Amino acid sequence: MKYDICIVGSGAGGAPIAYELSNAGYKVVVLEKGPNYREEDFSKDEVAVSRRDLYTPLLKDERHVINDREEDGSVTRYDGKEYSWSFWNGSMVGGSSNLMSGYFHRMKPDDFRLKSKYGKIDGANIVDWPINYDDLESYYTKVEEVIGVSGNTVKHKFSEPRTTKNFPYQMLEVSGVTKWFDSTCESLGYESIPTPRAILPHSALDRKGCSYSNFCGSYGCSTGAKGSARAALLQMCDAKIISDAFVFKLDSTKSKITKAHYYDKELKHKTIEAKIFVVAAQAIESSRLLLNSKNEYFVNGLANNSGQVGKNLIFSAGGIGQGRIRFEKLTKEQQRELMQPGLFFNRSLQAWYEFKAKDKKYKGGTIDFLFEHANIISRATREMYDENGELMWGKKLQKKMHKNLTTSRVLTFEVFNDWLPTDYCNVTIDDKAKDKFGVNVGAINLYSHPHDIEVGNHLAKKAKRVLEEMGAEEISVSISSAPPPNLVAGGCRFGNNPKTSVLDLNCKAHELSNLYVTDGSFMPTGGSVPYTWTIYANSFRVADVIMDELKV
Amino acid sequence: MILNSRRTFLKNSFLTSVVLLTCGEKLFAAVTPLQTIAMVHKDLFPDSDMIPNADNINASYYLNSILNHSRVTDENKTFIRNGVKWLNEESVTKYKKIYTKLSSSQRQKILQEIAQTNWGDSWINTIMSYLLEAMLGDPVYGGNRDETGWKWLNHKSGMPRPEEALV
Repeated sequence: MKYDICIVGSGAGGAPIAYELSNAGYKVVVLEKGPNYREEDFSKDEVAVSRRDLYTPLLKDERHVINDREEDGSVTRYDGKEYSWSFWNGSMVGGSSNLMSGYFHRMKPDDFRLKSKYGKIDGANIVDWPINYDDLESYYTKVEEVIGVSGNTVKHKFSEPRTTKNFPYQMLEVSGVTKWFDSTCESLGYESIPTPRAILPHSALDRKGCSYSNFCGSYGCSTGAKGSARAALLQMCDAKIISDAFVFKLDSTKSKITKAHYYDKELKHKTIEAKIFVVAAQAIESSRLLLNSKNEYFVNGLANNSGQVGKNLIFSAGGIGQGRIRFEKLTKEQQRELMQPGLFFNRSLQAWYEFKAKDKKYKGGTIDFLFEHANIISRATREMYDENGELMWGKKLQKKMHKNLTTSRVLTFEVFNDWLPTDYCNVTIDDKAKDKFGVNVGAINLYSHPHDIEVGNHLAKKAKRVLEEMGAEEISVSISSAPPPNLVAGGCRFGNNPKTSVLDLNCKAHELSNLYVTDGSFMPTGGSVPYTWTIYANSFRVADVIMDELKV
Repeated sequence: MILNSRRTFLKNSFLTSVVLLTCGEKLFAAVTPLQTIAMVHKDLFPDSDMIPNADNINASYYLNSILNHSRVTDENKTFIRNGVKWLNEESVTKYKKIYTKLSSSQRQKILQEIAQTNWGDSWINTIMSYLLEAMLGDPVYGGNRDETGWKWLNHKSGMPRPEEALV
């Protein structure tokens, strides 16, 4: 059987196309490497999910090789298996969108023209996008409606333009502590923004609403309230899903993809034919698949006669910080508010999305505030060391653990700013390491531009100020060049010039007339927000393009 | 499924097979990792009136079960076993007795000494992490009996809870 569309990967990049095309009557097949879970399969089992990493491959079976480049140019090779360094996120139908916290921010108009607006930065490959915010706005709105985004628009210095007045779903209930946060921000002259979330506050879209059970990030959602690609799209359409199917090679002629090769659960080799192929296996694996699919027409890998596949890999720069709010300074009512489980925090600051320093305009970013994850084993484990970094045990540890976990709560923040694309951060194929399928693994060549840290530190200072003013103790900040594996993009950037980009402005390969790449790979720069909303929106945009093409 | 029969528990356990300790070229003693670790559990997280006791935590049972988990690496298991050997070697070197035969204060001294080494810090951290998993993981895994760990820390589990252990 020949399908109209074959999609490799079922996350936020692939699922909108499966949803739109299958609902329009086209024959769609989705090949997903991981298993197919449903709501009833998920529980808040910290031992399985967080301690044993249930949703990612075992590193002895599948891993990456990481070549870490220091500023002096030296490179150290780390085999992910030996160093327990994992870049996997969610190997399952719906991909890592199942496990996201769903902090949803749109990119802003200036994010689409970073080079024009802020100029060149030495050592960074910054370019403008071939589309602008207006091209994506209606699709951001579509995501709000179809995936289900809850929030409340508040006008602020860097509000992005909207065609609808407000979010289609009201804000989730928040902790009373947000009142203290808001008044602190007001006294500092900071604009506190309610964080939009891809979580339904009540039953809608044939899905149940949030049960406020806590444990959102890292866990699959048992109610379907979280707008995962599985719950919101794949379970709402007739696209055929083949799970436990690892696609390792695509065949092509000079101008078209003809076949996808995959291994099923029993490691049997199978193939799928289709008119159009969409690759959306998450940025690193999408580049790996193209690079591993060499043939006589594409000796360097599919769509790679320009040598651009795998280049300009980006993550989200920034980092995290936290402070502890203790009972001692609070009234009884405030203590109750502080410890109330289940309610969200949902506050962000974007006042420094652009800022001036040393008479220079900088592109800044977003700061999200949230309570420390409710995982109790992780929280208890973090108490094991004293303030001098010495391991503790016995009654001393028991006392500290009990006091900290029952009479205080940790408020954390996450800083998101641009990870500048450079020549040294990219995906290649490691020539030695193979996975359990016998396929060469992806090599992540890692480097972060010093500018990223500079911006991250500027933002973190502002966030730290809020925690200080709120009376938090034990404040710590960690802005670093460590790449967050769940915030990854680039590798197949889109653009108008086939010599400097892999994809055209519709995310179709310049060199292959029926190959699209629609996960975060297309992004030449990432904006200073988590990527998922933009990936969803762009994928809905590309779905319209493919639909038009199939109609001809 | 978690290993729930006592017989299988003992039969399958690499924690119950002996570790040989030599002194020079002579065999000094044979210890099982389980005996040593059970004692270390008590030393790291002693019983008191206020907190879940060793029976509630059930750490040794949990550790033995979880180490059969497909997602616990062989390196991790070997490290735990080697740690038992090194801990006992320290005990023999310093006090001429295996760890379980030392007095409480001697055992604390040994723990404090090894905590200053890289392997010791890492080993105690590993043993303690599994103990905390036992104490605060879902009771379906065999630890945290009557949810005493959660009660001690006023923790409310997320819902739904797992119906069976995934190992």
